[in-house]
Amino acid sequence: MTSNVTLIFDKSSGNAQKNFTPKMDIEEVELQDIIPKSFQRIDLPLPDIHEVEIVRHYIDLSKKNYGVDDGFYPLGSCTMKYNPKINEIVARIPKFSQIHPLQDENQGCLELMFKFSKALEEITGMDGFTFQPAAGAHGELTGLLIIKKYFEDKNMKKDKIIIPDSAHGTNPASAKMAGFSIVELQSNTDGEVPLDHLKFAMQEGDVAGIMLTNPNTLGVFDRQIKDITRIVHENGGLCYYDGANLNPMLGICRPGDMGFDIVHLNLHKTFSTPHGGGGPGSGPIGVIEKLIPYLPKPYIISPEKVVNYRENNDNSIGRIKAFWGNFGVIIRAYAYILALGAEGLKRVGQMAVLNANYLRILLKKKYNLPYDRICQHEFVLSDKNLPNDITTEDIAKRILDYGLYAPTIYFPLIINGAIMIEPTETESKTSLDYFIEVMEKVFEEAQNNPDLLKNAPNNTPVKRLDAVLAARKPKLRD
Amino acid sequence: MDFVPHDEKIVHEMLNVIGINDLDDLFKDIPQELHLDKLNLPSGLSEPDLFHELEKLANKNKLHLSSFLGAGCYYHYIPSLVDFIISRSEFYTSYTPYQAEASQGYLQAIYEYQTIISQLTQMDIANASMYDGSTALAEAAIMATNILRKNSIILLEGIHPEYIEVVKTYCWGQNINFKVISEDMLGNELNENTAAVLFQSPNFFGNIEDTTKIAKIVKDKIPECLLIQVMTDPTCLGILIPPGLTDIDIFVAEGQSFGINPSFGGPGLGIFTAKQKYLRKMPGRLVGKTKEINGDGIGFILTLQAREQHIRREKAISNICTNQALCSLSALVYLLSIGKTGLKEIALQNFQKAHYVKKKLSLIPGYKILNKKPTYNEFLVRCPNIDDFIEKCKENNILPPLRVSKYYPNMKDVALVCVTEMNKRSSIDKFIQIAQSTSEQQMEGN
Repeated sequence: MTSNVTLIFDKSSGNAQKNFTPKMDIEEVELQDIIPKSFQRIDLPLPDIHEVEIVRHYIDLSKKNYGVDDGFYPLGSCTMKYNPKINEIVARIPKFSQIHPLQDENQGCLELMFKFSKALEEITGMDGFTFQPAAGAHGELTGLLIIKKYFEDKNMKKDKIIIPDSAHGTNPASAKMAGFSIVELQSNTDGEVPLDHLKFAMQEGDVAGIMLTNPNTLGVFDRQIKDITRIVHENGGLCYYDGANLNPMLGICRPGDMGFDIVHLNLHKTFSTPHGGGGPGSGPIGVIEKLIPYLPKPYIISPEKVVNYRENNDNSIGRIKAFWGNFGVIIRAYAYILALGAEGLKRVGQMAVLNANYLRILLKKKYNLPYDRICQHEFVLSDKNLPNDITTEDIAKRILDYGLYAPTIYFPLIINGAIMIEPTETESKTSLDYFIEVMEKVFEEAQNNPDLLKNAPNNTPVKRLDAVLAARKPKLRD
Repeated sequence: MDFVPHDEKIVHEMLNVIGINDLDDLFKDIPQELHLDKLNLPSGLSEPDLFHELEKLANKNKLHLSSFLGAGCYYHYIPSLVDFIISRSEFYTSYTPYQAEASQGYLQAIYEYQTIISQLTQMDIANASMYDGSTALAEAAIMATNILRKNSIILLEGIHPEYIEVVKTYCWGQNINFKVISEDMLGNELNENTAAVLFQSPNFFGNIEDTTKIAKIVKDKIPECLLIQVMTDPTCLGILIPPGLTDIDIFVAEGQSFGINPSFGGPGLGIFTAKQKYLRKMPGRLVGKTKEINGDGIGFILTLQAREQHIRREKAISNICTNQALCSLSALVYLLSIGKTGLKEIALQNFQKAHYVKKKLSLIPGYKILNKKPTYNEFLVRCPNIDDFIEKCKENNILPPLRVSKYYPNMKDVALVCVTEMNKRSSIDKFIQIAQSTSEQQMEGN
C-alpha cells in the first residue's frame, strides 16, 4: 500500500524531552533496593517527539475532521446542536476542574449538582436525580437495574421488558445487561405502539415494564402515550423513558406527565455539551418518588442549608461508576439551562420542531417519506424512490462532497434504507436552505449522473473506504 | 440568552412553508392535558451573569496549595498542548466518527491512541476507550464470563473499593457470582466455574503485587481462567513491568493521570486492552486501518461493529455507545508530549518522592507504615492522631491524605498518602512537620 498518511510515530526524533517534569528536589533512594528487578520495566517503546511536531500533526488532523463548528450536522437521534463556548470556560474554572472527588471541602460541586437536579426535576416531571451514569446507555443500564431491584425487593419475578422495534439499539442491549429478556413490539402503521399488542404482552405477568422514547425514532409523538403508560401500570409494570429524544419536548411536555417512572437524559444531546467525537457524555437518571431509594449511591440531598449526600441505603442498586459522575460535563449542561432559563428552553423545543418540519416539507418533494405527518425533532426518509440503484449510503457519501455532514443512515431498522434527519434548533434558515439545495442536487445527480454518487465522496481527505476489508483483516494498531 | 438564530419574521415564513399558522400546530399530536403551561424556572442569564453565578458556586469549593490525596484520582502535571489540542473544535464538537471520510482526523488520532496504549502496556490490542477505570473493570469481568461461558468471578482484596462496588452492581445485573477474597485464599476459592480473577496492582493500599505469583496460582489450578489486572495510576508503567509481558489476559486502567483534570472525579478514561485472541469479544469502539475501495489510499474507519449495540441490539456484547473519545485524545497527546523519557522520569519522581515521605513518616514516633510489599506513589500509614493530622493539613492549605476508614471502618487511624511529581520539597517538608507536631510525643508534651 502506498501511504498517504503519516502517523505521529513516523515523526519520532529520538530527542529526550524533559520539558514537562519538575526539577527533582529531594534525596533519592536506589530503585533496585525497593522494587525487585522482576517487577521493573526494561524497555519503554514510546516515542520522543518534539512539541512543535506534535502540535502541527494534530492541527493537521483536526483539519481532516468535521465538527458542529464547521457546519450543519443533521445526524438523526444525535441532537448535534451548537455547543456554547461559555460552557467550556466555566468547566475550566480551577475551583471546579482541580477539585478532588474525595476531598471534604466540596460544597460548590455538591450544590451545583443539587441545583441542577432540582431544575431537571422541573423539566422532566421527576422527583429525584442521580448524575452518576457516564453516558446515555449507562443511564439506561442504571434505570433498568432500578426496575430489577424494585421487583426483587417485592419478591416478584419480572424478567422481561417490552421494547418497540423502533427503539435505539442501546435499549435492548442495556436491558440484556440488566438481565432482562426482550419482548419486541412491532410499531403499527402510524409508527406508534399498538395498544392491543401491548395489553396482551403485559398480561403475561412476568413483564417488568416498557422502554420507550417519545417522540420515537421516526420523530413521531405517540398520541396514545397516556394509555400506554396506564396499561403498563395497571399490569404492575414500570415505564422507562429513553431521553435521547427529549430536545423537542423542552418546555412543551414532560415525561413525568406522560406517565413515565424513570427517565434518562443525554446531557451531550439535549443540554448542549460537546460530543467530543464520541464522549465524554453524561446520562443522569430521574425517577419518581417511590424509586428514589433505589438510585445509585451516593445520592445528593439537602436537608438544611448544607448540601450533603447519602452513602448507605439498603434499597440502592449500588454504585454504577466510581465517584460522582462526569462532573466536567455536568457543569456545562447546568450552565446551559441557566443561560436559557424557562423561556429559552421552551424556545429550544419549538424551534427544533419548526426546523425539522421545514426540512420535512421541502425534502419530501423528491425523497420518499414513509410516515408523512407533523414530526417533532426529526423525521426519516426511505430509499424507496432512489433512481439507478443508488443506495442510502451513496446519498450520504455524496452529501459529504458538498461540505456537510450526512444524516444518520440505515436507522431506524423499520424503514428501508433509512435517512434520518435532525436539524436541531441552532441551525439558521440559510443553513437549512443550503442543506435542501444539496439534497435536491444530489437527487438530480442520482438521476442523471449516478456514478458521481457511486464514487463519492471525492472532496474528502480519502475516498470511500473499504469497511469489509477493515473487518476481515482487522489492523488496529501500528 | 439562547442560541436560536431565527427572528419572528423567519419563523413566520417557515410556518407558511409548512402550511400551518401557529407554532402550537406543531404540537397537535400531544394530548391537550399534557401541554405544559410554563416551566417553573428562572429567566435566562447573560454570559457575564452566568459566569458570575458559576464562579460563586466554584468559590464554595476549596483549592489547596498542594495535595497528598490520590486513591483513584491523581494530580499530575498536564502539558499545555493537551488542552490546546482537545480545544480544537473540529475535534470536540464532532460526533462519533460514523462517516469515516469526513472524520479521518479523529479516526487517525484514535488509531494512534490504540497504538500508543498497546506500546505502553505491551498488550496486543486496545479499544478506543471506556467510561472510566471502574466500568472498564466491570466490562472486563463480563467479557471473561462470555469468553469462557462460566459464571463466577473472583476479586482480590486491594481493588479500589468503589471499583469493587461497581463490578458488584454489574455482576448482579447479569447474575454473575462474585466474591472478594484475600490472596492467600485464592488457591482454595478457584474452581471450575471461575471465569476470571481480578486484581489491582499497584493496589488501593499502594502495594505492587507479584503478578507472576498470582498468575501461577491461577493458571496452575484452572489453566483457562482469565487473569485481569486493573490500575488506577498508570504513570507507574514508566518503571514497572507492563502487563503484556506477564500472564495478564485483560488489562484495564483509569487513564485520568494522562492529561485529564480531576474535575471532581469525572470525566476520566477507561483504558481497555486484551490479548489478540479475545478481539471479537472485546466491548467498545475500535478503529481499524483500511484502504479506499477504488484506490490505494489508506484511511481509518470504525470496525468490527457487528459486536456493537446499534447493529446487534440485545445480542451485542455490551450496550456501550458513547465512550470517552476526547479523553483518549488527551491521553494520547499527554503520552506523546512527555514521551518515553518524560514518562520514565515522572514515574521515578513519583516513586522517589513517595518513598522520601514514607521514610520520613516512619521515623516519627507513633507513625507506622503498614505496607509489607513494595509501593509506587501511595502507601498506608497508621497515625497517632489522625483527626488532628488531617485538620492541621487543611489549616496549612494542604489537601490531606485519605482516611481509609471512609471505606474500611475498622481501619480507623489509617491514612492513604499519595505523593506525585507535583509535590514540591517545601510542601513535603511542611507535611512532615505537621505529622511531627501530631505525633504521640508531641501530644504528650502538650
